[in-house]
Amino acid sequence: MPIVFACAASHAPGMTAWTEAAPKEQSEKFLGCYRKLGEMLAASRPDVLVAITVEHWANFFLNHMPAFCIGRADHYEGPVEEWLRIPKARVPGDSKLSAELLAACLDGGFDPTFSDELLFDHATMLPLHFLNPNMAVPVIPVIINTLTTPMPTPKRCFAFGQFLGKNLAGCEKRVAVVATGGLSHWPGEAKHGKINIPFDKKFLDTLISGDRAKLSAYSHEEINLEAGSGGHEIRTWIALAGALPEWRAELLAYEPVVPWATGCGLVVFSRS
Amino acid sequence: MSLYQLQKLIYQVNRDPSQRERYRQDPAEFVKGYELTEEEKNAALNVDVRKLYTFGVHSLLLRPFTLLHKVSNEDYAKALAGLE
Repeated sequence: MPIVFACAASHAPGMTAWTEAAPKEQSEKFLGCYRKLGEMLAASRPDVLVAITVEHWANFFLNHMPAFCIGRADHYEGPVEEWLRIPKARVPGDSKLSAELLAACLDGGFDPTFSDELLFDHATMLPLHFLNPNMAVPVIPVIINTLTTPMPTPKRCFAFGQFLGKNLAGCEKRVAVVATGGLSHWPGEAKHGKINIPFDKKFLDTLISGDRAKLSAYSHEEINLEAGSGGHEIRTWIALAGALPEWRAELLAYEPVVPWATGCGLVVFSRS
Repeated sequence: MSLYQLQKLIYQVNRDPSQRERYRQDPAEFVKGYELTEEEKNAALNVDVRKLYTFGVHSLLLRPFTLLHKVSNEDYAKALAGLE
């Protein structure tokens, strides 16, 4: 089966941990769209959900930081954060499909690491909370290092996404692909709370216009300067755009939510 | 300066419930497991946000660590006021 659903979504922890700090209208609008996205995902009846995601020191540390890692476990645990206000859950995996994907990567010129034990932090648990609320759909995490330098370039993330997309299109299962992260934010930094709305809008416009060359041409320095340390997570969105060459992106929501300190976006893809 | 060790301490408290429990039982004993300077040790034990940040602790280690200590968003921002 081909890919049956794809979306990209921000995962600011404030969405659940301090929901009420945001203006009610803004948070209800955004989280309402997030739930709607979950209904769209469910309606596509996926057998498996590939999460192109990041992590925040939940698993990897400076003793070993992979550029790309694919989870190969039968299940995953999360969230790591006890303050996130998301119930702890055991999320089913699909170790067989993970193993097939890994084998294809190594045959095809990509060398991600793999892990049979991963904890999920808010980067993965928060989108799953809205998109896969009963944790009924098994998840395969594909983690990109967007946390600490050196990180894989946007160009490499795009190419990796292209490769994943080609492989998943030939998969026997119905696959949903979810990219998570961004948009501009400076989490935990002195600039915490800053949101670069013009950057976010330009990025979303580029994604929606389908200008994939422009997406993969983003530089690390530009993202760092304009979108902040948290903005590096847009690499997951760029990878997703690579995975879906014939799909169009549609903006469901963009809200610069100051109390959540993040330019929050939700984009759904459909076949053009 | 042993930033690697300092960050490792915070990483382990943040992510691992059993380490977190050990830390909560006896922080002073827990920090002995890491090669820290006196200043780093004190900053960790006092959850001195500004000092830990200035030492270079990654913001996504520091903020979750301070959330475990119930440091509010407002107090966290105040602690970093004026820094780059």
